[in-house]
Amino acid sequence: MNLLTVVTFLPLLGAVGLALLPRDEAGQHRVVALSVSIVTFLLSLGLWFGFDAAPGAPEFQFEQNVPWVRSIGIGYHVGLDGVALLLVMLTTVLGPVVVLSAWKAVQERVKEFMIALLVLETAMIGTFAALDLVLFYVFWELILVPMYLLIGVWGSQNRLYATVKFFIYTFAASVLMLLAILYVYFHDGGTFDYVEARRTLEVTPTAARFLFLAFALAFAVKVPMFPLHTWLPDAHTEAPTAGSVILAGVLLKMGTFGFFRYAMPLFPEAALEYRTLIAVLAVIGILYGALMSFVQADMKRLVAYSSVSHLGFVMLGLMALSAEGLTGGVYQMLNHGISTGALFLLVGILYERRHTRLISEYGGLAKQVPWIATAFVVVTLSSIGLPGTNGFVGEFLILSGTWLSRIASSGWFAGVAALGVILGAVYMLVLVEKVFFGPLENAHNRHLPDLSVREGFVLAPMIALIVVMGLLPQPFLSPAKPAVDRLVQRFQAAEQRLGKGPQVGTQSTSFATRVLLPPGAPAIPVAPAPEGH
Amino acid sequence: MTGFPTKDFVALVPVAILTAGAIVLLLSEVFLVSGRRGYQAILTVAFAAAAGIAAAALPASGPVFGRQATADGFSVFVTVVVCAGLALSALVGAGWLEARNAERGEFYALALFGAAGMSLLGMASDFLVGFIGIETMSLATYALAAYLRRGKRPAEAAFKYLVLGAVSSSLFLYGSALLYGASGSTLFSDLSKGHGSALLLAGLGLVAAGVAFKVAAVPFHTWTPDVYEGAPTPVTAFMAAGVKTAAFALLARIFLAAESGPAAQASAFGGIIAALAVLTMIFGNLLALPQRSVKRMLAYSSIAHAGYLLIGVVSAGAAGAREKALSGVLFYLAVYSATAIGAFAIVGFLERRARGDEEPMDPWDLQRFAGLAARRPGLAFAMAVFLLSLAGIPPTAGFLGKLYIFQAAIGAELYGLAVLGILTSVLGAYYYLRVVVYMYMRPPEGEAEGLRSPSMAVAVVAAVAVVVLLGIVADPVVRLAQAAGLL
Repeated sequence: MNLLTVVTFLPLLGAVGLALLPRDEAGQHRVVALSVSIVTFLLSLGLWFGFDAAPGAPEFQFEQNVPWVRSIGIGYHVGLDGVALLLVMLTTVLGPVVVLSAWKAVQERVKEFMIALLVLETAMIGTFAALDLVLFYVFWELILVPMYLLIGVWGSQNRLYATVKFFIYTFAASVLMLLAILYVYFHDGGTFDYVEARRTLEVTPTAARFLFLAFALAFAVKVPMFPLHTWLPDAHTEAPTAGSVILAGVLLKMGTFGFFRYAMPLFPEAALEYRTLIAVLAVIGILYGALMSFVQADMKRLVAYSSVSHLGFVMLGLMALSAEGLTGGVYQMLNHGISTGALFLLVGILYERRHTRLISEYGGLAKQVPWIATAFVVVTLSSIGLPGTNGFVGEFLILSGTWLSRIASSGWFAGVAALGVILGAVYMLVLVEKVFFGPLENAHNRHLPDLSVREGFVLAPMIALIVVMGLLPQPFLSPAKPAVDRLVQRFQAAEQRLGKGPQVGTQSTSFATRVLLPPGAPAIPVAPAPEGH
Repeated sequence: MTGFPTKDFVALVPVAILTAGAIVLLLSEVFLVSGRRGYQAILTVAFAAAAGIAAAALPASGPVFGRQATADGFSVFVTVVVCAGLALSALVGAGWLEARNAERGEFYALALFGAAGMSLLGMASDFLVGFIGIETMSLATYALAAYLRRGKRPAEAAFKYLVLGAVSSSLFLYGSALLYGASGSTLFSDLSKGHGSALLLAGLGLVAAGVAFKVAAVPFHTWTPDVYEGAPTPVTAFMAAGVKTAAFALLARIFLAAESGPAAQASAFGGIIAALAVLTMIFGNLLALPQRSVKRMLAYSSIAHAGYLLIGVVSAGAAGAREKALSGVLFYLAVYSATAIGAFAIVGFLERRARGDEEPMDPWDLQRFAGLAARRPGLAFAMAVFLLSLAGIPPTAGFLGKLYIFQAAIGAELYGLAVLGILTSVLGAYYYLRVVVYMYMRPPEGEAEGLRSPSMAVAVVAAVAVVVLLGIVADPVVRLAQAAGLL
C-alpha cells in the first residue's frame, strides 16, 4: 500500500466507520474522530521523514499511478513535491486540533459534524496529492460539500446566506477550470495526467491565455484575491470555529497552491503576461484587507479580513517569480494556516465563554484569563511578523524577494506591501489592546474561566510551531526548495522562448538569503539543477 | 428471400418479452383470486430484467427488417437503460399506488407496453419504425399520466400531454412524409440521397420539432412542467428516464444520418439542434430557479438536462468526436435515469396526500423537505446524493456524465456551447442546493413523516448505489457505452 494513499483515505474510512456507529453516542463519535485524525497525523510523519529534499531526488515522491476511469483517460495518480508535502502536513496537524476544538462547542449532530470534518480532511489531502487533473478537480470540488454542511448546519445566525454564497461563488469559479482541463486533454496527447500534460502541452498563446485565466479564476476566488474575496468574510464569520480554522488554515491555501502547481507551471508565458495585474491585485488586497480589518466590530470578521491581507502577501511572493519570493510565498502559506488558524481557535475559545464576538463586549481580560491572553499575544506577534516568529521569516522573504525581483517597479510593490505590514501590526495590536488590556468594565467578563487542559492541547501545537518555524525555518524551507527551483527554471525557459529579456529571478545576488541562512547552508537560488524526470 | 428471417426476430426478442409481460400483467387482473397484488411489481421487474438480459446476451443482429431497424450496441444499451428504468419505476409505483389503494395490473401492463415502444425506438433506423415506436411509447404514457385522476391537476396533465403529444407525433409524421418525398425512401440512411434541399430541410425541421417535443427541448417544452407535476409520481419518474432515453436514441440516429448528407443540410440540421441546446439550457435552468414545488423544479431540471444531452448530440456531428459524444450521451442517459427516478421516488415518499377527492394545495412544497435529515436521515442522504449528482458535483455519477459530455463538446471544438452549458449548470447548483438547505439546515415541520414502503426503499437504495458506484468505478459502464457509441 502506498503511504500517501493511506494517509489520504484514512479519514474517509474513519468517516464511513463513524456512519455505522449508533446515533446517540456523541462521546464515541468524538473519540473515534480524534483517534482517526491522530493516526492520520502519525502516518503523515512517515511522509515528512521519508521525503528526500536533495536536488537530485525525484520531483514527486510517494507516487502511485494506476488507471481510474481508463476508458475516459482519468488516472489515480498521486505524489508529493515539497510544497504539497508541507501543505499535507499542515492539514494533518490541523486535523486533530479542529476535532479537539469542537469537543464542547458542538453538541448537536456530533456524528454528522465529525463525518464532515473527516471527509473534508481526505478531500484536502487529496487536492494536494493529486497529480491527475481530473482527480485534482474531483477532490477540489469534493471539499465544497462538507464545508457547505459545516457552515450551513453548525454555523451562526446568518449561516444559510453565507453557506450558499460560499458554495455558489466557488463552484461558479471552478467550472471553467473543468473546461480548461478538458481543453488541455485534447492538446497534450490525450491524457489528464499532470506530469505528462506539463511536459507535452502545446497550445497557441491565445489559448494559453484563456486557459490560464480559467485556472486563475478558480484559484483566485479560493485564495481569495481582491476583488473576488466577498464570500470570505461571510463564510468565516458564520462558520463554526472548526470550520473557520479549516477554511483559513487549509482551504485558502488550495488557491495559492493551485497557482503554484497548476496555473503557473502549465502556462508560464501567460502567467508572465498577467503577472503584473495579479501582483497589483495582491497589493490592493494587502492594503484593502488591512484597512477593512481596522473598522470591524466583530473579531471573527476582523481576522477574516486580515486573511485577505495575508494571502495578498502570498500571491505577491508567487508573482515575484524569484526564488526568495516563491519560497516566502510557500512559507507564508504555512504561517497563515498556523497563525490565523490559532486566532480563530482563540476567538472561538472566547466565544464559547461569552457567546459574543463583538470587540466592544470585551476589555481588560488579561487579568482574568492570563493564559488566553498570553496565547493571543504570541499568535498576534506571529501574525504581524515579529522577528523570532514564523511570520517574520515569510514576510521578510516575500518583501525582499519582491524588491529584488525583476517585476516592473519592484520597489513600489515591495514598498506598498511593506505598508501593509505596518497596518497589520496596528490593527492586530489595537485588537489585543481593546480585548485584553484596559479596565475590565463589563461585568460579564469578571468570571471567565481560563484555558482548560483540552484547550491547552488545542493551542500548544500551534504555538510550538510558531516558535519553531520562527527560529528554525530551515527544515521547513528545504523541502520546498526543489519545487521552487523547478518552477523558476520553467519560467526561465519560458522567458527565453518569449525572448523579451529577463523577467524572472533576482536582479542581484541575493542579500536576503545570505542574511537569513547560516553560513555553509546552500543558498536558496542555486544553479539550475537538471529536471527530475 | 429464402428461409426464415431468424436474425430479424432475434433482434425483436427484448421487445417481445416486454410485450408478453404486458399481456401477462393484464391477464393477472382477470385471474386474480385474492386481493393481493404485491407480486405484480415483482413480475414486472422480472420481465424487465429478462428483457434487459436478453438484449445484452443475444448476439447483435445488425441491420434487420430491410435496414428499417438496427440491433447494435447502441440499441442494446438503450434497451438495458429503459428496462432498468422500468424496473425501478415499477418498484416505486408499487409502494406509491399501494398507499393510495390503486395498485392494478393495468398500471404495470401500460408501463411494459411503453417500455416495448422505447426499446423499439432504440433500434429504429427508419421513419416508419420510429413513428411506430413513438406511438407505442406515447399511447402507453398518455394512459399512465391519466392513471390516477384525483383532483384537477392530473386530468389537466393527462389531457395536455395527449393533445400536445398528438401534435408532436403528427409533426414527426408530416416531416417524414416530406423526407420521403425528397429522398424516395423512409430509411434514415437514404437521407443523404435526397434531392430538393428545401423539401429536405423542411422535413428535417419538422422531424426535429417532433422529437424536440419528446425530449422536452425549449421551445417545445411547455407541456413538461404541467405533465410531470400532474402525473402520478412513479409515472413521472418513468417518463423522465424512459421517454427521454428513447427519444434521444431516436434523435441521435436521425442526426447522424442527416450529418452524413450534403454539407448544407448537415450544417442546417446541426444548427437547429445547437440552437435548441442553447435555448434549452438557458430557459430550463432559469425557469427551475423560482420553483417552490420540488416536483416542478425537477421537471424543469429535466428540461435543463435535455439541453446538456443536446450538446452531446451536436458534438456527435464533428468527425473526430462522434464516438465519444455518442457514448457520452448514452452514459449521461443511464446516469440521469437512475438519478431522476431516485429523486422522484423521494418526492413520492414525501408528497402530501389528498384527503378524499380534495386536492392538497402544495403537495410537493419545499417545506415538506424541511428538517428531513433529522426525521428520515436515510431519505435525506439519498436525496442529497441525487441532487449533487444532478448538479454534477463529484464524486457522483452526474459529475462524470457532465465531464464526458463536455469532453465531447471540447473535442468537437464547440467551445461556446460548452462554456454556456457549464455556466448554466451553476444555476442548477443553486436550486438543487436549496432543497439540501431545507433538508439539512432548517428545523423540521411538525407533520406526518410521509410514506414507508419497502419496495420504494429498494428502488431508492438501488438508485443511490448506481449514482455512487458509477461515480467511483465507472469504467465498466463507460466501456459498454463506448462499445455502444460505435454506430
